[in-house]
Amino acid sequence: MSVPNAIEVVDLVVGVDELSAVRGVSFAVPARGRMGLVGESGSGKSMTAMALMGLLPPGWQARGRVLHDGVDLLTLSDKALSSRRGRTISMVFQDPMSSLNPVRRVGDQIADVIHRHMGVTRRAAHAQAIDLMTQMNLPRPEQLARAFPHQISGGQKQRIMIAMALACYPQLIIADEPTTALDVTVQKQVLRLLNAATRERNSALLMITHDLPVIAAMCDTVAVMYAGRIVEHGPVQKVFRTPRHHYTRGLLDSQPTMDNIALDGSSRLHSIPGMVPPLHALPSGCAFHPRCPAATDRCRTSMPEIDATGAACWHPVPVAAPAEAAS
Amino acid sequence: MSAAATTPVPARPKKRRGRRNLTLTIGLVVTIAFIAMAAVSFFYLPHNPNVPRIPDRLLPAGSPRYLLGTDALGRDIFSQLMVGARTSLMVGAGGALIALVIGTIAGLSAAAFGRIADETISRSADIMLSIPGMVTALVLAATIGSGTLTTILALSAFFTPSFTRVIRSAALSVLQEDFITAARLYARPTWFILLRHVLPNVAGVMIVQFTLYFAAGILTEAGLSYLGVGVTRPSISWGMMLNEAQQQVGISSPLAMWPGLSIVIVVLGLNLLGDGLRDVLDPKLARRTS
Amino acid sequence: MSPVPPVLAMEQVTQAYSHPRTALFRAPGTFTVLDCIDFHVHAGEAVGLVGESGAGKTTLTRILTGMEKPQSGRVLFEGADIWQAGPAERARFRRSVQMVLQNPRSSLDPRMKIGTALLEPMRSLRIDGNHLDRLTEVLGQVGLDTSALERFPHEFSGGQLQRIAIARALMPNPRVLVADEPVSALDVSIQAQVLNLLKDLVRDLGLSLVFIAHDLSVVAYTTHRASVIAGGRIVETGPPVELFTRPKAPQTQNLVSAVLTVNSGLSGNAL
Repeated sequence: MSVPNAIEVVDLVVGVDELSAVRGVSFAVPARGRMGLVGESGSGKSMTAMALMGLLPPGWQARGRVLHDGVDLLTLSDKALSSRRGRTISMVFQDPMSSLNPVRRVGDQIADVIHRHMGVTRRAAHAQAIDLMTQMNLPRPEQLARAFPHQISGGQKQRIMIAMALACYPQLIIADEPTTALDVTVQKQVLRLLNAATRERNSALLMITHDLPVIAAMCDTVAVMYAGRIVEHGPVQKVFRTPRHHYTRGLLDSQPTMDNIALDGSSRLHSIPGMVPPLHALPSGCAFHPRCPAATDRCRTSMPEIDATGAACWHPVPVAAPAEAAS
Repeated sequence: MSAAATTPVPARPKKRRGRRNLTLTIGLVVTIAFIAMAAVSFFYLPHNPNVPRIPDRLLPAGSPRYLLGTDALGRDIFSQLMVGARTSLMVGAGGALIALVIGTIAGLSAAAFGRIADETISRSADIMLSIPGMVTALVLAATIGSGTLTTILALSAFFTPSFTRVIRSAALSVLQEDFITAARLYARPTWFILLRHVLPNVAGVMIVQFTLYFAAGILTEAGLSYLGVGVTRPSISWGMMLNEAQQQVGISSPLAMWPGLSIVIVVLGLNLLGDGLRDVLDPKLARRTS
Repeated sequence: MSPVPPVLAMEQVTQAYSHPRTALFRAPGTFTVLDCIDFHVHAGEAVGLVGESGAGKTTLTRILTGMEKPQSGRVLFEGADIWQAGPAERARFRRSVQMVLQNPRSSLDPRMKIGTALLEPMRSLRIDGNHLDRLTEVLGQVGLDTSALERFPHEFSGGQLQRIAIARALMPNPRVLVADEPVSALDVSIQAQVLNLLKDLVRDLGLSLVFIAHDLSVVAYTTHRASVIAGGRIVETGPPVELFTRPKAPQTQNLVSAVLTVNSGLSGNAL
């Protein structure tokens, strides 16, 4: 018996009019699995998340299949989808301020979710909300529950968001850049909390971020997206230690780390030349070829698929030469 | 350094703008037709709209020599509509224009010249907004007499505070941008920053608001004239035509239809124009799609 | 010791803001944003300033660039107090200290062509002459060509816009570049390009750089010396690597332990 998947995405295409932001993406997050989806702005990672949640901006269309809990989410009506959101699948967004209702007390907002999806009384829901807030290490939860969103700090807001996302023991949590807006010192605490809380509740986690260290710390598998496609996919340990795609390797090398820095400040950071191509002017063949050090004519004309190496590349990075960041 | 960084992002294809452009085109066509109708009325009218011709009274639309028929006194409807367009144009555009000028100056000042200026201007606007506009217009008409100028003044007094608020909030969001910080760093004076950086960036908002208040002005003017406190003959207003036609409802209902229809089409056209312009001019939208 | 004064320095700078008045007859409360700050940068030196948001970085930047007058303490440009200086001295200060802001999309007026934006410092600082050669030169220094001049900001990517913002700062031939989080709004692969560019400029043009960031490792790549600011005070100063490997102040330790790296994540002891 194979483990049922918390979510399985098959050949997802997301676009508006003639432009596609996501161009045929397939992956699966097993139950209780933890997957990272990493990419720069314009890679299509956020549009993928929005498509999974049925929250695409007006005019945008998703094609393909998104299997979750035995149904294809893309075929569900808005009503059926919104009854699932927050119950079997929930989301933590980048900006906690705009995701909370500014005129309702935070405790009530958590209780709302519990009341709506778990079929318990308002009173019981409220008690559970306080309980959840305690689990989120929020100080003086009874008092904090009566606060309005603008009265609490960014880190606290993100904890409230995580509490709401976890309230109904969802099978899957999608976290879209959950710590990007937070201070570095708060980031670590929030990640630690998200990590522990999802494990306790046996929820699967799909972590969407541009931040490789966050993926390394939180996830078991990773998919690297570039220009709307997954270019490398596999266990985090393998992909980050021995990247096979030149883009993955470039990303790892351009991480500023203290490990290999010269004392006199003379070290140079590796950089990937060029820039992420805009959607309407994608290069032919492998979309990364104009920035790739190993590009050949083949890369310019035909698009590689992910093969046994785990990378979609005609000339994968040799395994014998591991990336500097992993050495 | 990378050579690829030199090439700018290629321009985005224009195809996506299709639906927006339809709204804009319809709005533009209606508005231009309306203005043309008002302009032509100065040079050419099929008939004198104020001279009664009793033998020709209450002719139906499509009668020879009378395109849309005549009213109870035998006056040509189409000619009256043309002169009415003139009034609507003058009152609507005039009211909106005065509000635009004062509102922009007040709004920019409130946003840029510190807390005391902001409080003074914003609270004054609040007070003015709390006075119902229609009532003010009625009182003005009753005290200093009705007429085009009174209506324009009443409308601009009515629109200015809302205009001020809109411009103020648009200007505040522009003033938060970093290019304002950069300009301050180069010791540019506030008035210069307002003219050079803020005004061009709120111009889109200004134009859109102008078209919407233009439409609102036409509606209000029609309302006032319908109540009998707008313009008086020999001036003609669509509202006044509605008022006169009201006495003929049942005898010749289309009489009320023509001015009513004109108001609906022109107001709709201006609103479509405003919506279309908003999509084209909004710098935030342009930035987001790029 | 060398008698040459630092090109830009702050001495005992304190700044406090007042809370909004809550009662008519009660004096409004104040809170101290900067507390006795000493900070300096020598010619050709790259200095970092690291701290969390709310630590006072923004206020320090505003005071350092002369946009805000400190309540007490002195801001010295080439040894002379800028708030005591005559108009000619102040003009020279304005010309010599330029700034690069965090968000490149926001730091260029969307309605202004790049060419106009680049000339803006020259116009407002009343620097006469034909600037066309200077434009070409500066664009070359940041890795762009003159085709950019006739375009609008929305036609460029974030990394290109940050290059343009740096070019604008370079236009009046400054001695000091103050960069406030210049890469935190950029993608990882682009960050490296901009960091390397800043380093090259410091080396090739003999510029002084004040690099403000929340990320110690980014600062380590660009500067020789860094100060950690917390709660409006500078708590520790030293070579970035030193700060990273042997942090003394608890606030520095906090910052260092908050840094996540791919390696620590892979070895499973990041969180």
